[in-house]
Amino acid sequence: MKTWKILATAVLATAFAASAWAQQTTLRIFTGGQQRPDVMRKIADEYQKRNPNVKVEVEVGGATSEAQQQYLSTVLSSKDSVLDLVLIDVIRPAQWAAQGWAEPLDAYVGADKAKLMGGYLKAYADANQVGGKLIALPYFADSQFLYYRKDLLEKYKRPVPKTWDEMMDTARIIMDGEKNPNLQGFSTAGAPIEGTVCTYLVPLWGMGSDLTKGGKLNLDAPQARQPFQLYGRMKQAGVLPKNIAEIPTDRIRIDMQAGNLIFAMSWGYVWNRLENDADSKVKGRVGVARLPHDQGGTSATCIGGWQVAVSAYSKNKQEAVKFARYLSSPEVSKMQAILASHLPVFPSVYKDADVLKANPWFADALPVVESAKSRPVSHQYPQVSDAIRSNMNAYLAGTKTTDTALADMKSRLQPIFR
Amino acid sequence: MISDGAISTKKDLSERALGTLLLAPAALLLLVIVVYPIATLFWNSLHGVDNANPAAGEQFVGLKNYFTAFEDDRFWASTWHTILYIVATVPGALVVGLGLALLANMPFKVKWPVRLGLLLPWALPLVFAGLIFRWFFEYRTGVVNDTLMRLGFEPLSWLSDPNLAFAAISVAIVWKSSSFMALMLLAGLQTIPKSLYEAAEVDGASKWQQFVEITLPMLRPAIAVALIFRTITAIQTFDIPYAMTGGGPGDSTETLAMYIHKTTLDFLDFGYGSALAALMFVLSMVATSGYLKYTRRSSGRSGD
Repeated sequence: MKTWKILATAVLATAFAASAWAQQTTLRIFTGGQQRPDVMRKIADEYQKRNPNVKVEVEVGGATSEAQQQYLSTVLSSKDSVLDLVLIDVIRPAQWAAQGWAEPLDAYVGADKAKLMGGYLKAYADANQVGGKLIALPYFADSQFLYYRKDLLEKYKRPVPKTWDEMMDTARIIMDGEKNPNLQGFSTAGAPIEGTVCTYLVPLWGMGSDLTKGGKLNLDAPQARQPFQLYGRMKQAGVLPKNIAEIPTDRIRIDMQAGNLIFAMSWGYVWNRLENDADSKVKGRVGVARLPHDQGGTSATCIGGWQVAVSAYSKNKQEAVKFARYLSSPEVSKMQAILASHLPVFPSVYKDADVLKANPWFADALPVVESAKSRPVSHQYPQVSDAIRSNMNAYLAGTKTTDTALADMKSRLQPIFR
Repeated sequence: MISDGAISTKKDLSERALGTLLLAPAALLLLVIVVYPIATLFWNSLHGVDNANPAAGEQFVGLKNYFTAFEDDRFWASTWHTILYIVATVPGALVVGLGLALLANMPFKVKWPVRLGLLLPWALPLVFAGLIFRWFFEYRTGVVNDTLMRLGFEPLSWLSDPNLAFAAISVAIVWKSSSFMALMLLAGLQTIPKSLYEAAEVDGASKWQQFVEITLPMLRPAIAVALIFRTITAIQTFDIPYAMTGGGPGDSTETLAMYIHKTTLDFLDFGYGSALAALMFVLSMVATSGYLKYTRRSSGRSGD
């Protein structure tokens, strides 16, 4: 009798343990090294606390958008189920939809869809739907801003520049006054990476033009030369770093943080690092404003931001979608805003008192993000990006002139935008 | 007699069967990991996606991808860059490697520091080597420009000037690959009998004469093998320029392997990427058969 009891207990215990084991789901999410994996970990810890049956693993890779995508292309082309969720750049949904890598979320959100999508900033609701299908959910918003050294502008009694020329003049005056050989005027992405696409597009948009017009390539417009000429003038004035063609996105942040930059065109995440990193030499000495524009143009900026997609090859899609919806909630938007100065995807979060305390400049950021423009949407976006960034890079390095860079860009883009 | 012959044939057969059986696993393994992927590559290179209608998937397009490649400026440019890297870094690595091998072959009391120094660059992953050299050549914080400035020169844009970038990448490749060369040559050096040098010394030959008349000719087979291996890996040059410049400025340092990587993994054009890879395969075959012909001829002559 006794042995029977012990046996029964053992069997029951095993069955219970097995069922608990069966309920335990491990979700693996991929994020780029620059999208603050430490903050993602904190958010995941919070989620695990509320959902004890779920364990979240954060996989970190690639510092730049295209390096991440190269890795993801390898994993997903082989239909590997190792990743359940992936943070993807705002430029990717079209390609992900065409490749069938993202699990369409329509069936999961069901009747909720209209209400859910209505809550987001419109640009992100649009960017994540391809051909009517919901490909991903927005994780954080982003656009480029002008970071400037408040203290230096005050010292030389210069206003925050409204035009590029004003910015160049101010930079020159400060550089001549400071006599610090390490101090550079203005920096933006110039290496052959994704961010350099925006380096070309921002001045182009500022002149009211665009890469395409009605689906056709629009590089014969006189404005297409404008970005090259603008950076050419900056180079001539000695305002751009000599090694601008080597500068990737995060290098701008590092130079600013070291106190070696007066002006920078960069993304939202920079603020939090400048204010909170232990080695920051510019704590409380930096301001954020709209990007300058050309005389007769308007201020433009590139839309950025990261989306959370559920892998089509995940074996835990139900749980993954649940976690994705948590990551794309106002609560997580607020956490990210405070912990990483990631711009919220919900308009309401911009007015949150705690968020504004951590990021005073968010008060004026919403209209900038709302007016930010999208890079060309194409399932062949990687080719589009490569054509723009490699020619912009060659121009900045001084190996191509405006004419050759533009002609080469055109000849590579022509087959895509026929 | 008859029965004897029957037995020996039987034995021959069973021995042959045993031989085949013993070879089968290796042959099968080769089939799976070499023949199958190469066949798949060629098959893929005959396919392509119609970009106007990507949903239809890969279609059979015949040799279209190859014709596209022959008209593709970027294919020719990246092939040309690859050839330049071969021309600069294979002889470069041979000279440096030979020097290192001679150094390592000297009768030091303690041999391990030299041999460890030889092994380290070889053991380092290529991408790490690329990243380390990128930091060396970095414009503002690199040790190379720092040295230049201390000597009173202007800093140079090593990584954003096509010619300087080519030089910087070549230095990195030579540093990385000369240790492999040295290892191969060191093995060759140790097979040269000491008596030859002693005899030469008796005849009054100088050190230089000994090197030219004994070391180099005796080392020829080792040099040929080292050159074959190095040239084949040089045709596949990818990691170091990828880590150092990403192909920039523009596409001026992009190699064929980098273009293939971009076409397949960035552009997801597996058909065209496979065709480019097949063309690289042809390039490797041509180079290898050239070397093989040379070594066969030279070994034939030494047998005379």
